[in-house]
Amino acid sequence: MKISETSGTCGNLRFRGLQVVRVAASWVLAAQLAFVPFAYGTAGKSDSPMPAAPASDPVLKAMQGELARASSELGKAEQPPYYLSYTVYDQEFTVLVGAYGSLLHTTAAQHRQADVTMRVGTPELDNTHGQSRGSGITSGPLPFGNDQDAIARILWELTDREFKRAVPTLLNVRTNTAVRAEEEDKSPDFSKEKPQTHLGEVPPPALFDRSAWEGEIKRLSAAFRKYPDVYFATVVLQVQRSNSRMVSSEGSSIVSPTASTRLVMEAQTRADDGMDLLRVETFQAPSAGGLPGETDLSAKIEKMASDLNALRKAPVAEPYDGPALLSGRAAAVFFHEVLGHRLEGHRQRDEEEGQTFTKKVGQEVLPKFLSVIDDPTMHEIAGVKLAGTYDFDNEGEPAQRVNVIENGVLKNFLLSRMPIKDFGNSNGHGRSQPGLMPTGRQGNLIVTSSQTVPDSQLRQKLIDEVKKQNKPYGLYFDDIQGGFTLTGRSLPQAFQVLPVIVYKVYADGRPDELVRGVDIVGTPLAALTRILLTGDQPHVFNGVCGAESGQVPVAAVAPSMLFSEMEVQKRAHEHERPPLLPPPGFEDTSVGKDAQAKPEGKP
Amino acid sequence: MRILRTSTGLALATMLSFHLPCLRAGSVDSNDTSVRTAPGDSKAAPDAAMAAAHSAAKGDGLLEALLTELDRSKAQLKMDQVQAPYFIEYRVNEVEDFSAEAAFGALRENQHVYVRVLRVVVRIGDYKQDSYFGRGQGESSYLPLDDDPIALRHQIWLATDEAYKAAGQALAEKQAALKQFSADPNPVDDFAKAPPLIAVEPTVALKVDEFAWEKTLEDATAIYKNYPDVQSLTASARFTADNEYLVNSEGTVTRSGKTTYLVSLNSSAQAADGMRLGRSPAYIVGRNEELPSHDALLGDAKKMLDTVVALRQAPIVEEEYRGPVLFAADAANDIVSSLIGQNVLGQKPQLGRPNRTTGAFATSYKTRVLPTFLTVVDDPTLKDFQGKSLVGSYAVDSEAVKAQPVNVIENGVLTNYLAGRQPIRDFPNSNGHGRGAPGSSPGPSVGVLLVKSSESQSLADLKKKVIQMVTDQGKPYGYRVDTLGQPGNTPRLLYRVYADGHEELVRGAVFSELDLRALRSDLLAVGNDPLVSNRAGRTPTTVISPSLLFGELEVKRADTSKDKLPDYPAPPLKK
Repeated sequence: MKISETSGTCGNLRFRGLQVVRVAASWVLAAQLAFVPFAYGTAGKSDSPMPAAPASDPVLKAMQGELARASSELGKAEQPPYYLSYTVYDQEFTVLVGAYGSLLHTTAAQHRQADVTMRVGTPELDNTHGQSRGSGITSGPLPFGNDQDAIARILWELTDREFKRAVPTLLNVRTNTAVRAEEEDKSPDFSKEKPQTHLGEVPPPALFDRSAWEGEIKRLSAAFRKYPDVYFATVVLQVQRSNSRMVSSEGSSIVSPTASTRLVMEAQTRADDGMDLLRVETFQAPSAGGLPGETDLSAKIEKMASDLNALRKAPVAEPYDGPALLSGRAAAVFFHEVLGHRLEGHRQRDEEEGQTFTKKVGQEVLPKFLSVIDDPTMHEIAGVKLAGTYDFDNEGEPAQRVNVIENGVLKNFLLSRMPIKDFGNSNGHGRSQPGLMPTGRQGNLIVTSSQTVPDSQLRQKLIDEVKKQNKPYGLYFDDIQGGFTLTGRSLPQAFQVLPVIVYKVYADGRPDELVRGVDIVGTPLAALTRILLTGDQPHVFNGVCGAESGQVPVAAVAPSMLFSEMEVQKRAHEHERPPLLPPPGFEDTSVGKDAQAKPEGKP
Repeated sequence: MRILRTSTGLALATMLSFHLPCLRAGSVDSNDTSVRTAPGDSKAAPDAAMAAAHSAAKGDGLLEALLTELDRSKAQLKMDQVQAPYFIEYRVNEVEDFSAEAAFGALRENQHVYVRVLRVVVRIGDYKQDSYFGRGQGESSYLPLDDDPIALRHQIWLATDEAYKAAGQALAEKQAALKQFSADPNPVDDFAKAPPLIAVEPTVALKVDEFAWEKTLEDATAIYKNYPDVQSLTASARFTADNEYLVNSEGTVTRSGKTTYLVSLNSSAQAADGMRLGRSPAYIVGRNEELPSHDALLGDAKKMLDTVVALRQAPIVEEEYRGPVLFAADAANDIVSSLIGQNVLGQKPQLGRPNRTTGAFATSYKTRVLPTFLTVVDDPTLKDFQGKSLVGSYAVDSEAVKAQPVNVIENGVLTNYLAGRQPIRDFPNSNGHGRGAPGSSPGPSVGVLLVKSSESQSLADLKKKVIQMVTDQGKPYGYRVDTLGQPGNTPRLLYRVYADGHEELVRGAVFSELDLRALRSDLLAVGNDPLVSNRAGRTPTTVISPSLLFGELEVKRADTSKDKLPDYPAPPLKK
């Protein structure tokens, strides 16, 4: 499908091998900031793009004025638009990247982009129908300041261009619809919704002491110098302030500012057989002040490094099918991939989709003791900030808590303004990255359970199940780095979760054994029915999710879960050897690799 | 497929592109570089060469870190079943880059990049046949911005390891690929020897008032308000300081700096019939003091918009014309760059191909390719021309070979190619023309390409000649082209030259048959008005050519669709 691990590479710099992970990681941020592809700069010299008081915001005024003019001018056309909206995304960000005690890059930039969304035809059938969805949007960069003439001028250009694209596309859509067999889901293309007005106040920028943070990033990244086997390590701080303004021909006017800070520590090693092993720690807060202190972060680094050292030496897991315990974070990713993506509204009517759950509304799809909601209005759980929080979605609809599964029974889907059979309205889940048409997406997917045991008893429950099934061991999935899933019809319906810390838990009382190179695989419906019980504490996985409508920040929350059966396969990996020479600073063999990790041989 | 990941990093390759738009303009640069050869010739003991290299690098943290890793890799890099490297090279480009763009009087982009890009080449085999193939052509990586030796060396170490392993694989792949072809009785070497060179020059930095430039770009584009027929107007600046550091296992240590300042204007409009018309003049200079002043840029922006407005009113060319066409020096420079510059590059063809180069002059060695009154030289050692800086000038190329003047075409006959360290048939050595953009492999490139003539004439005489010819041929007019648009050398400002000497601007034309044959056979005369045209491509280059008169060329109506006009009028101005 559309996304591959290396889609971030471009230009004349090639990254491979060890660096593949860097590329994959790169791609995440690049896509997240996709409307700012060349993101190096010094911000702040020109007018700040963030208005102080939205009511008198000249940018909003220019948008409203030009929208009204375009609606009236194009209203006279033979094929007038029935819907037109302008969204202007402002973004200011600073990124600091440290590696081994030095700054590898620093970036500070500001960007402003306009998305012009237009629909011609009727809400029943318009230019965005089916595979033509992209014809509804045209984007371009806007000037930073408050020059209303310049802003109006560019909005006009983009609108004219969009109009010239939307009208011929509508003709194609009409022809195709007439020629092709009738579609199964005859829902209209656009739902009717109430216009929204919300002028969020833009808070003053939080205090950010850049040079102090540069020092901290250098110090934190220098901690990895102690570990000769951690070949690649970065500490990345990303501080971001955003504002989105939206006006629509339906009368909506929304100003929605956000701010976020992420600290990502990534470390990688390679086992002797060539398997790359990765540990990532992510922290999220509204401002840099909300991040953990340097002492806590240093402790995390020590833990990452010792995990990697242990993983290098760990045996490769064999294919296995049997009881498994997933930590809350692992279970959360599992639900995001296996369930969440299949509940996205547009997949229920797209005829190329597998439609696993389309006709299961009112039926039991999970064990009765599990319920699932998606609630973008929640800000934190168990003291952890959630990444998938927003107040209005990218179609200007207010975020809503949606009960998708109640006591195991499927009730609802995650809906944008694209209606599906029996669900005619948006429930505030129309999300996209700037520049792309929104579709139904997850925000904060939260799994709750009524069949719980205290987290402390879970390991014993796993051993009990292993014994019951007469297996030598079960698997405990402690941490994962992410996952992906296929929902289409042309490829098998499958998912993969990429665990990094996995233990064999033996039935006979031997100590747990760390293993590496395990991937969870399987088919979604079967996997979901094998959950036996859960822990009693919610755990949060904050991440970035990519799909047709681009990269959006999401959270997945779940308790730990015991599965009666879980299938794992050996991970495919590169076979390139670890670096041949010792890293700089470890050239002298007497303080080489072994000296670092090896305890004294004799008491 | 959907992917959920926690990891975040920097999309460096995506975020930063070193490809400058291929622009050009009149301009100047000089970097006062003196070059000396390393003590001892290439036969000297490598240890002595490396000792000299270390002493040259002293005090430069980056060069020292590069040499430390070079020594270590040279001495120890060895994998089972794979030969040790016979050559290792590190090239670092420390790039400071400021860019800004304004549209309709308002700034919409400004960024300042500071980055260090490393390119590592590890070669296995020997000069005759080595691993420079596919992935064996090198690895790129970013380097830390400060001179912390461990942090620097860590990235160099990783990139070297990757490059060596890739080289091992590449050599095997190359040898396998060569088995498809019958053995070449006179094989061309894979790599040319070059004497070690020590030339550590001062570094350069950008010297511009960024804020003032942002304002200038805004002012230059605010004049759209006086030109209701102009659809788009942008102005952009891109200023780059590039310090290139190079060390290799032959004992070479070089450091050299170069600044390039680019300011460009861009505007477009549609004629009443929908035809799109555009202009995109630029200034590219090596010294910031040569950039136009605020007022001069505004004046030029107005002139440009006047021509756009004039083009809207201009008649469309007739369907076909054959006859004399005079290329003003600015347009001639584009012709020289695309037809001569691209074809004199000594680019080695792909494996198994017997040709000398990949260009159209591959088989033209020692044959006539231009009229006998023309000579073409590429001389990167030329720093200034008529008081203007030449951005294509340099003292040492991206493979640390000293720049040399090369006579590529003498009295019309092709006598040489521009070569880097990758030999081609009959040309076993580099002539100092191996250049590469930061982070990418070097290849043969133009430096400062000059067209010289033994029989030049004044522009007025050339125009008289056009009039004489059309009169003789019974034609109402000939053509004169002022400036071309890229890509495709399409005329932007094309004039009919009538017998009485008056000129008329026309639009919608293309040249056909403007090719090597036309250069060789239909080029009648050249002007005495050589014009410096600096170009910002992958690597900055300069072309200096006078006006060119072609006796017969085809001008015909362009076969381009006419887009619809805007569906509704532009917004009224508020202020």
